[in-house]
Formats: sequence, C-alpha cells, structure tokens
Amino acid sequence: MSIAKRVQQWATFARTWHIYDCTWQNPFESAALVKTHLMGLHKPIYHPMNDCGDHVVLINTKEIALPGDEWIKRVYFHHTGYPGGASWTLAWQLHEKDPTMVMKKAVYNSMHGNLQRRHTMQRLHLFSGDSVPDEILQNVTNQIRTPRTVPQRLDHIDKETLENFPTIMDYPKDYILR
Amino acid sequence: MASLLKVATSTLRSTLWQTRSVATTTPQLIKEIQEKQENNVRTYEGVNIESERSEKLLKSACQTTFCPECTLGLDIKHTDVLILSQYVRSDGCMLPRRITGLCYRQQKKMGTLVTMAQKAGLMPNLGPSWSKKDPKQRYGWKKFNKYFLESTIKY
Repeated sequence: MSIAKRVQQWATFARTWHIYDCTWQNPFESAALVKTHLMGLHKPIYHPMNDCGDHVVLINTKEIALPGDEWIKRVYFHHTGYPGGASWTLAWQLHEKDPTMVMKKAVYNSMHGNLQRRHTMQRLHLFSGDSVPDEILQNVTNQIRTPRTVPQRLDHIDKETLENFPTIMDYPKDYILR
Repeated sequence: MASLLKVATSTLRSTLWQTRSVATTTPQLIKEIQEKQENNVRTYEGVNIESERSEKLLKSACQTTFCPECTLGLDIKHTDVLILSQYVRSDGCMLPRRITGLCYRQQKKMGTLVTMAQKAGLMPNLGPSWSKKDPKQRYGWKKFNKYFLESTIKY
C-alpha cells in the first residue's frame, strides 16, 4: 500500500468531530441533522455494521427555540414502574431543570431503538452554554450549518442601520406622535 | 333629565380629571407653534415642519395604499423587525389603518406579524412602560426562545 493510499485509509475511517450551535434552532429539525453525522449516514462507506459514526458537540442548548406554544404543548412522559408512578413534564419545565435534556431526547428519539443507539449517543457531547472544555474543542474540525438564521433583536441593531433604513410611510399632518 | 345628567357629568369631569400632558422628554412634533408680531397684532400659527422621515421615504410609499407585499412583492417575516417597528407606536400598539395606509388584508397580517415579533421578544424596547424589557426575565415558559411560522396566519 502506497503512502497516499494509507493516509486515505486513515482519513476515511477516522472519527471526525463536528460542532453545532443550537442558538434559536428547533431541536427536532436539528436532531435529524445531528443524527446523520452521529451515525455516519453522510459517508459513502456507511453500513449498519460499519462503526463509522462521528462525534458531535452541541453548544448553547439552553438557547433552543420551539415554534408557537410548543413549550407548553409538548409533554415528556415518565413512569417509575410503581402503581401511580406516571408523571408528565412539560417541555419548558424539563428545559428549566436541565437545559440539555430536550436536545438530548430529541436526538435519542430520532434514532431507531436498536442496540447501537446507546453507543451512538456516547459520541454526542452536550453543553448548555458556549463554554466547552479545551480537550474537546481541540478535536473539532467541522461546523454543521444551522437550518435557521438567528433573528436579530431591534434593540441590538446598531444605530447607523436604524437611521439609514428606508421608511415605508409618513405620518399624516394631523397625527400626534407618541 | 338626560341633558341634566350630561351637564352634571361634564362639570364633574372638568373639575376632577383635568387633562394635562406630562412628558419627561421633548415630544416629537409634526407641527410647530410660531409667533409673529406685526403692528400691534400678535399672531400664533401652527406650521407643519418637515418630517424626519421625508429623506428616507420610499418614493412609492407616498401613494394612498402602499403595502410591502402588494406593491413591492416583499415576503415579510416576523423577524423583519426593521419594517414591523415602523407600524408600531412607542408603547407597542399597532397603528390604525388610517395612518399605516395598508390595505385591509395587509393591516390584519401586519398586526399578526407584530404580535409574533413581540411574543418572540424581538422588539422589547417598543412596549408599555411596565413591560419587562428583557425577554429572558419573562414568567414561566415565556422566557424561553420561540419562533412562529408565517403559514399559520389566516389572512
């Protein structure tokens, strides 16, 4: 085997580390993306018996966004196994308790329940904020593109843009401004 | 009897609730009061001053009905706060159609988009004085990020 071929072999089977910023992202849209990278579905060498999944680092999981009133409509069910042990937790209550849990469950539930799933989940690294330990961050070589753009708040837009933005109506002459 | 009641209430109102405008900052004005003295005659006149907006105004916006969607064919989202904030008063209320100059359908749609932007916490500086300026300080589930789908608007 030539040196070039040998390097190609290493590069093909090496585990790549991806980073994904969850700010203003829907966890369930993101889960489909993260899942493909975790399982290695994006690789041409993918096979269920081929252990070719990558690592994914999820940052800012506390900043995820849900559409409309889904924070109070989505319910997480748990049963202790004892009679009367059922409990239902709203998504916002779960997110308040553990800001990484909604994202983690979204990725976990997006995969089929087979023996491989728990091992695939070991390659997922979740962080509620943007501080990531150095030994994880130095492995990262790729950033996954986010499907949603982060909306800009009106009070965070700089003064120059606000002043130069074209106006689309003028007040009538008899109007009292306030 | 009715007229007597009306007189009584109007006198009561004039004595109890005297309307007085109190402002901590200089209000923006459309008209300016000018004072002139000519041969023992002092005239006070309300003159229209040039609007701050006149330079930045789009040419076609001066027409009677100008809708961003109908006229320009823009697809406005609830995240386009620079456009939506122009249809909103400083306390977060939607301006009436008499002033916005939108068509009936667009006025309804803009109102919904403004509500969406406010609920998503994208225009926290335009709101009533008692409102929480920081969306992260809201109560319960409202403090978390949320977005809205424009396809849910009925109009």
